[in-house]
Amino acid sequence: MNGSEELARTVLLCRDYVADDVADDEICERLQSQRILCISDIRNLSSHAGQTALVTLVSLLSRMGMQVELDIPDIDLVLPQPPLVGSSLPNALMGGSEAFVRGATINACTDASPDVIFALGDSPLKGYRAPCWRLAGDEWSGRIASHGVGLPRSWAFEFPMGSMASAALAATEAFKVMLRGLRLRGKWVHEFVQPSRSAGWDFGSREALGMEFDLGAIDFISAGAISQAALYILDRIPRIHMRGRIFDNDTTALSNLNRNMLSLQEDVGCAKVEIVARRCGQVVLEPIAARYGNGNPECELLAPRVVVGVDDVPSRWEVQRRGPMWLVVGGTSHFNVSSSAHRLGEPCSGCLHPVDEPGPDVIPTVSFVSFWAGLATVMRLLQEAAGKPYSQGRQHLWLSPLRMDLPKAAIWSPVPARKDCPVRCFASRSLMDIDPIAA
Amino acid sequence: MNVTVEKKFAVDVVYNGVSKSLQVNPEERVTALLQRAIALFGVTQNAHLLSLFREDGTVVDESQSVEQAGLRPGQELLLRPNVVRGGFERLKVAGDVLPATFKVLRDCGRSECECAVYWTGPSHDGAVDNVEHPVHTRSAIGYEVENGWLTDFWKRLAAAKRSVKAQIHTHPGEAFHSASDDRWPIVSQAGFISIVLPHFAIGRTSLENAWVGVMLRDGHWKRLASASEVLVMS
Repeated sequence: MNGSEELARTVLLCRDYVADDVADDEICERLQSQRILCISDIRNLSSHAGQTALVTLVSLLSRMGMQVELDIPDIDLVLPQPPLVGSSLPNALMGGSEAFVRGATINACTDASPDVIFALGDSPLKGYRAPCWRLAGDEWSGRIASHGVGLPRSWAFEFPMGSMASAALAATEAFKVMLRGLRLRGKWVHEFVQPSRSAGWDFGSREALGMEFDLGAIDFISAGAISQAALYILDRIPRIHMRGRIFDNDTTALSNLNRNMLSLQEDVGCAKVEIVARRCGQVVLEPIAARYGNGNPECELLAPRVVVGVDDVPSRWEVQRRGPMWLVVGGTSHFNVSSSAHRLGEPCSGCLHPVDEPGPDVIPTVSFVSFWAGLATVMRLLQEAAGKPYSQGRQHLWLSPLRMDLPKAAIWSPVPARKDCPVRCFASRSLMDIDPIAA
Repeated sequence: MNVTVEKKFAVDVVYNGVSKSLQVNPEERVTALLQRAIALFGVTQNAHLLSLFREDGTVVDESQSVEQAGLRPGQELLLRPNVVRGGFERLKVAGDVLPATFKVLRDCGRSECECAVYWTGPSHDGAVDNVEHPVHTRSAIGYEVENGWLTDFWKRLAAAKRSVKAQIHTHPGEAFHSASDDRWPIVSQAGFISIVLPHFAIGRTSLENAWVGVMLRDGHWKRLASASEVLVMS
């Protein structure tokens, strides 16, 4: 079975907790030998939210190299589910077999003894035996619970933010099952990888945002994992209006496929911006195959809202220096997600990330962590567009997806202005004994 | 009567969603507290990037004591990196750079002397598109770049808005970074790449057996498992 190149960064992330004497090949084989059964009845798949939960879960699992089996009825897609194609949900999903990661198959169920089962909503289990979690939630919140815990409702909603959160929660549990099957660094690791009896996420949103969004013009800086996750999510939100540009000069590599949600095997070697623009349906994007900055005149005038998932910290500073009205920055670090938004005048991304560590280490990544960064980014965008942004006390979110069942999985904080802000933003200059406008 | 006042207190450190209590002494340096927190959670990867953050988002100053930093009993501290990236962009090395590098190193070194070259490219991106061969003295155990050439080299780079992306040199035997390699790179900046080729670069035109390392923020060098971690050969 191949796919080791696609999974190299996921294997690297496993190294955080797997003993040194376990070979990379063994970790890779463990990922690829996981058999995950996804079950749903027709009622739970009749809504866009239910279908999106399943498609997202299968994509996240498959991008970890796992073998997915489906016990689902034949049903048409309610709305498109890029990058998958087809009009029938099972066919679209099975068309994704080995399309994300080589060797990661998606098939109709033939195996009665999976390692893990995920059931959508209140779908019956039909006598399968394995650890099972149910995916539940509503429009704005996602939840998973071990089978027998709570009374899940069926997925009868259209709006899919909650369903995608539940998929990310579920994919995390599959990953932890896999990790627990390997020799770990010590007993202390178990508290990070132990199963969640139940876990949920509601984005910390306390206000109703509505169900229709006009995001206006948005520039995406980078077409990498976080931008692709954000656009995967945005493109699934019904009745969203958005136009924008996306900047990136990179091409898709095999090692991107473990997390780039809009990319497939067939895209290797192609410009990332072209792939993203082509795969997005209702979200209209102009691809600009150039690195942001770089003397490119198209960078001179930014859209009022900018999404930054760009690789290096100085590039974030450069975008921030151009003074967009509103900027959202998503990043990941091992098993953690950082998400922040910066309105003009507020402490900026330079205040939050004042240090550049230009280490060339290959960044360890896994599908569900990058996807959480996309979810957090989109939620900030939707709140901003609805005129109900997070409070300043929630300007920064530090999310730890491995243990979403714990109260400290999400740490919200303000972003304090810093005198040594490398951007020299208005807020940082206000701390000094100089006129912030003249400076 | 002497009364001993117990000054120690506990703070809560949160890492990856897990919270643990840690006893601290007011006189203790924050840097020591940070190291104990790292050990408490068994962090082994990129621990040097971690800092402690308060609930208001401010970083706890590592140069201070616990007391000077104003830490209080029961205070919650988040252990997280102070740098968070979306990913790393590797150097993109043009197709003719590696063969040209080997040719220079072999021609100059003639299987008996060390030699060095520098990879350069536009300052604004991660492309490598040229090989610079410095004027240098050479022997079987070392090389030394001429000062005058170096001065001229920096001027040329600045005028052309280009920069040095990596240094490559040869060793007579196996590839490793010697103490002088550690101390005297042409660029002393975190992220700078150094490559050492074994056996005077004789053999296959490949980085497979090379020592490839990167300078860390603290000035130390870290050997990488493979050149592909930092380079994309086109």
